[in-house]
Amino acid sequence: MAIISRDKIVEGLVNILGKDNVITDEKVLKESSIDRYRKYEQVMEVYTQPIPAAVVYVHSTEEVSEVLKFANDNQINVVPRTGHSAIEGGLETALEDSIVIDGSTMNKVLKVDKYNMQVTCQCGVPLQSLDDMLREQGYTTGHSPQSKPLAQMGGLVATRSIGQFSTLYGGIEDMIIGLEAVFPNGKICRIKNVPRRAAGPDIRHIICGNEGALCFITEVTVKMFKYMPENNRLIGYKLDDMKLGFDCLREVMVAGYKPSIARLYDAADAGMHFSSWLEDGKCVLIWMAEGPAGITEATEKGIKELMSAHPELEPVDPKILENWFAGLNWGPEQIAQEAEEIKATKNIGITTEVSGSWDCIYEIYKTACDRILEEVPDMTLMGGHSSHSYMTGTNMYFVYYYNVVDCPPEEEINKYHDRINQIICEQVIKYGGSIVHHHGLGKARAKYVHEEYGSSFYMLDTLKKAFDPNGIMNMGTLIPLRK
Amino acid sequence: MLLEDNWVPDENLQIDVKYIKNMWNCFDESALEMMLKLSDLSEGFNVLYNLEALTIGNSKCDAYLRTLYALGYKKAVRVEYDDDLRFKPEMVAGTVAGYVNKKQNIDIVVMGRQTSDGNNEKTPLILAEYLGWPCITQVMKVEPVDENCLKIINETDEGVLTQIVKTPCIISVGNVSESYLRVPTLKDRMKLGKQPIELYTPEELYENPENIIERVELCNIEKVDNSRSGIIIEGNTPKEKAYKLYNEYLKERLEKL
Repeated sequence: MAIISRDKIVEGLVNILGKDNVITDEKVLKESSIDRYRKYEQVMEVYTQPIPAAVVYVHSTEEVSEVLKFANDNQINVVPRTGHSAIEGGLETALEDSIVIDGSTMNKVLKVDKYNMQVTCQCGVPLQSLDDMLREQGYTTGHSPQSKPLAQMGGLVATRSIGQFSTLYGGIEDMIIGLEAVFPNGKICRIKNVPRRAAGPDIRHIICGNEGALCFITEVTVKMFKYMPENNRLIGYKLDDMKLGFDCLREVMVAGYKPSIARLYDAADAGMHFSSWLEDGKCVLIWMAEGPAGITEATEKGIKELMSAHPELEPVDPKILENWFAGLNWGPEQIAQEAEEIKATKNIGITTEVSGSWDCIYEIYKTACDRILEEVPDMTLMGGHSSHSYMTGTNMYFVYYYNVVDCPPEEEINKYHDRINQIICEQVIKYGGSIVHHHGLGKARAKYVHEEYGSSFYMLDTLKKAFDPNGIMNMGTLIPLRK
Repeated sequence: MLLEDNWVPDENLQIDVKYIKNMWNCFDESALEMMLKLSDLSEGFNVLYNLEALTIGNSKCDAYLRTLYALGYKKAVRVEYDDDLRFKPEMVAGTVAGYVNKKQNIDIVVMGRQTSDGNNEKTPLILAEYLGWPCITQVMKVEPVDENCLKIINETDEGVLTQIVKTPCIISVGNVSESYLRVPTLKDRMKLGKQPIELYTPEELYENPENIIERVELCNIEKVDNSRSGIIIEGNTPKEKAYKLYNEYLKERLEKL
């Protein structure tokens, strides 16, 4: 890999960024060698991945450009990072002597353009503070992933993230107007902010979802929406089985309604969220209508009408759901508490999100759950929910917990997490869904990229070769390393 | 988490918590895990601990009792009670005493020291009075010694005390550093979690109901003001404020460290 020594790498970076912005503290480097995919290793503080040479903080697009050029000239692997909330190994430094470029210091909101309903910000702007600031002024980004308290704009675009209100607002790909990114040769590219254009392929999608494997995102312009929470209407039901739940989701989507939330929890997952009022074994279906009063009223009415055709559904008090929803996001406190629990109980909870058309999503859900329970030892919970629905299908967010038994921290990933991931990916591929709905392929699922892409892998591979010919951008992400 | 705005007592002075995730009381959780750890250690000491769990409440508690079955508790008991228990330590202690006397073979009772609502820390002590047993409070750790004794480590005002205690005794569990209850596997839930829960009514267990005098009448409840006093540091620039913060409030404390 790198053609210069670790010391020379640090020296070169200090020359570009100054001493204060080049971190070589061992603890920081170790923590920066992984993300939350290796949550158990993280909690147990056992690090199995190559430790990067440095973590560097950048303050401008030009600095990013210079660092990338330096890395490209010296064949040093670079891992772009902002909020450090990735959970699929996208931030693992898979090669020796990598540089982690941290963009969280580029955290300025550059322009709030209320007339054209768009906001431009640097890559390190935390989504939570951006959205809080907009909401104070009566606007919202419409983007609300569970990682909202942690994630920053660059990373959200890089991973093709999606939020809890996506059924109305769409994923981040539907929100992006324009972008600025830097490619490994140092070239800075800006894509202008226009409502739509038909001037060739939509090149925003070379950047969106690149997971740091093609370029470093420095600036993002996203849509703004009017924020009218006073019009929100929540609708909830209890039900006995997931098959009916998927049918209900489909009915509403196919009928043309656009609720902001469309969520279906299986009994195991619902048990964790709603234990105070839900009977054992029940699933939960939740809708929320959001937007102008006339629309939310009509959406609520329409959904209720459709659901009334299913006498098996039992309504739930919307107040219960409102309060529950307010506490759904994950911030640093939850992560700290989770780490303590994992250490004490050796019980760990993980998620994997996939998608499928209406005609296969139930099979994906059912067969993956069954196989995991059959094939993986020490499972303490296996379930999941659908939280993002479309006209053509929906996602499945598998949620699973297991006890780590007779297994050193460095072996955990092989014995449990990778095995479960593999079963889920195999079942998804078998039934024709996508193995990734919104967390990115990272390095954990890159090994299935050929099955996921099929003949279109050629296009992804060509993009990688064209934009990153020296192979310095987050190697092992999207496309697996040859070992 | 209960939002402050939702902390509204109804006409029976109950707070509506139906949208809040249920969880173990932290002291009970510590106590339950402490017993499992004691049981884990027992092999080396040639003692056998038969763990039983008892709760007082409605059928919502059954899921928790099933979890305990799955974790290896040999018996789960529920005393059916659907009323307000928050400020009735005598009633709780009386019920437990009734159960202990009925069974005759129980020689250690382990309890969380207090609920988060009632918060009175009385129940284990009242139970000790009813049974005439010693009660060790603020227990942090328990280890086996032999069939008749336990090694008990507890916090006292003077420091941490380790003592060998003869059974029968009551253990009131306080602040335990690792308080999380282990999680049963789904296979153990299937295999062990379906054992029947032994049900009683309070009347079946009270030996002398007339002896249980409720000493408290609930008249009103009010939010505890948890807000802390503070000073807003004034200054024209962040630097100036930081300077004031450091020099006037932190410097002396930091120098002492």
